[in-house]
Amino acid sequence: MQGQIPFGVADYFWEEALQRQELIADLLATFRAWGYGDVMPPAFEYAASLSAQASAGLQAEMYRFLDRDGSTLALRPEFTTPVARLVGTRLHDWPMPQRFCYGGSVFRYVDPQAGRQREFWQAGVELFGAPSPDADAEVLALTAEAMAVTGLADYRIVLGQMRYFGGLLAALDLTPPQTEALHWAIERKSEPALADFLRETPLRTGQRQAVEALPGLSGDPSTGSGHRDIQRVIDQAERHCLNTEMHRALVNLREIVDALAGYGVLGYVVLDLTEIRSLGYYTGISFEALAPQSGFSIGSGGRYDDLVAHFGPAQPAVGVALGVDRLLLARQRQAGATVTPQPVRPHALVITNRNPAAIAQVQGWRTEGYRLQVEVNGRGLSDVLAHAVQIGVGQVLAWEEGRFVAYRANADGLFAPSQGEISFDE
Amino acid sequence: MSNTATLAPDTEKAVESRPPLLFALPKGRLADESLDLLQRAGLSVPVDTNSRKLVLPSSDGSIGFVMAKPWDVPTFVEYGAADVGICGLDVLRESGRRVHEPLRLPFGYCRLSVAGPKDRPDTPLRYASQPRIATKYPRLAQEFFRQRGVNAEVIGLSGSVELGPVLDMADLIVDIVETGNTLCANGLVEIRTILEVQAVLIVNRAAYQLKSRQIQGLIERVREAI
Repeated sequence: MQGQIPFGVADYFWEEALQRQELIADLLATFRAWGYGDVMPPAFEYAASLSAQASAGLQAEMYRFLDRDGSTLALRPEFTTPVARLVGTRLHDWPMPQRFCYGGSVFRYVDPQAGRQREFWQAGVELFGAPSPDADAEVLALTAEAMAVTGLADYRIVLGQMRYFGGLLAALDLTPPQTEALHWAIERKSEPALADFLRETPLRTGQRQAVEALPGLSGDPSTGSGHRDIQRVIDQAERHCLNTEMHRALVNLREIVDALAGYGVLGYVVLDLTEIRSLGYYTGISFEALAPQSGFSIGSGGRYDDLVAHFGPAQPAVGVALGVDRLLLARQRQAGATVTPQPVRPHALVITNRNPAAIAQVQGWRTEGYRLQVEVNGRGLSDVLAHAVQIGVGQVLAWEEGRFVAYRANADGLFAPSQGEISFDE
Repeated sequence: MSNTATLAPDTEKAVESRPPLLFALPKGRLADESLDLLQRAGLSVPVDTNSRKLVLPSSDGSIGFVMAKPWDVPTFVEYGAADVGICGLDVLRESGRRVHEPLRLPFGYCRLSVAGPKDRPDTPLRYASQPRIATKYPRLAQEFFRQRGVNAEVIGLSGSVELGPVLDMADLIVDIVETGNTLCANGLVEIRTILEVQAVLIVNRAAYQLKSRQIQGLIERVREAI
């Protein structure tokens, strides 16, 4: 029992841990460059706060436990709600808009699957106090930027607008079971289920046509012209507007597309008005980032104007959360490679003999970014060379008579003193 | 200072040779009808489905076919290991996998039903406090009884479910019924239908967007062949 770890968590080490940390650091650096400030919410808090607007599915996945005073706590299953709580309760009188970025692990009781253990990593941003299409466009553009920073050449952002479907539901005036049937058919892209719905639900001609047109209201990412394809879908949807809500959704999308044009990322955006995941949570756009060769979405986000009001004065908000594990997986697959975990090797092992001049020189190299391991077990040159062979390090520096002598491995793996300036392999 | 991953060159080739579209087909009961349908839809299907090769390319190389265990098809498709697949609705619902399911296909008709002993068909279903259910479909069986406010004792088996009541290990079974002959021969009778089953075309959610042209084309051709 002592050496085991619970199901759904993992030890990351060596290069795998390094890549994970570096990706999170790169993403956070990008977010900061766009003016987003760091936020670190607690790993656990009151379950009631975290459940403010959580779907039944997410509620069921939360790790809940009792505090010693009997209150129910939960591990954070995502970052958006804690950050919304912070803004709603403590920062509501700070000038808007406010921008936050985060990176860390979240916890969900799920069956481990591709790039998702029960503890997994997310990095993302939240933008509060801006109801404008420009804010939506910024978060979309930043999502695209994050994909580029990750090193993904091929990906798509599938963009939906909840209010189009929401408006349609309002116009149809359905019973809850009918709503559920339509929602299910659209979400699973099921033609027969939609046909069943149309057969069993009495609708006027215009209503019927609007429902029948729905499955066609998604773009074709293979055209390679995002802008024209998005316009085509919006134009088509325009013909089936039954109320101002549906119309407003399309006006909003047109403005977002205009605002996005300058970022040059429209080629990656696919408009899909049948994208209605998490209806009820998102109140405007919602989107998912997808990459080839990975069946699961690598990030998702949208506008959630109703969440902050659970904690304080209402604030419009839009954000995105990226799955760090899935980004790593997608990058690996796009490189067409399997990564064998490797230790991150130092550039050299160093014998300083505690000499101050030697230590000063080592410190200098370290600030230049070279990884140097100093011998701490007091072993002599031959033992250190043997150790270098064992762990696959190609250079040993030994302090001899007031200077470093470099011993470098030749092609056969044998070490010999090398002449000239000391240099390090990248 | 970034430390780039070491690439293993031999795996690069494996990824490159992946055909543009991968289609998971179920071995067994649904295999022949699936292939017939795809042939009628004008897709070039592999000739030798008994080949030992795991991925069978179509003659023009545009589609690769994977012959999988029926229960594995939704898994392959959800993970994106295959872009498209065919399986029974029973298997899909039991798996709970999140995939798109654009079309139902005109074969593999049967139903998932609750069946019980002929002499007292309704008693365990209606009056037992904790009926024992033998089934290959633990998830769907549990859900059916839970919706009726009953916590059933679901006993998962991998075949010959009828043996449950015969050997008095279970009160009822939940299983696929085609003609009812097997039930009858074991002194069982169908009590309720849980699910009308037929074959269904399923699509990976990411592939549906990323390969929409190929997949929409495929759906179109299959729809016309139905």
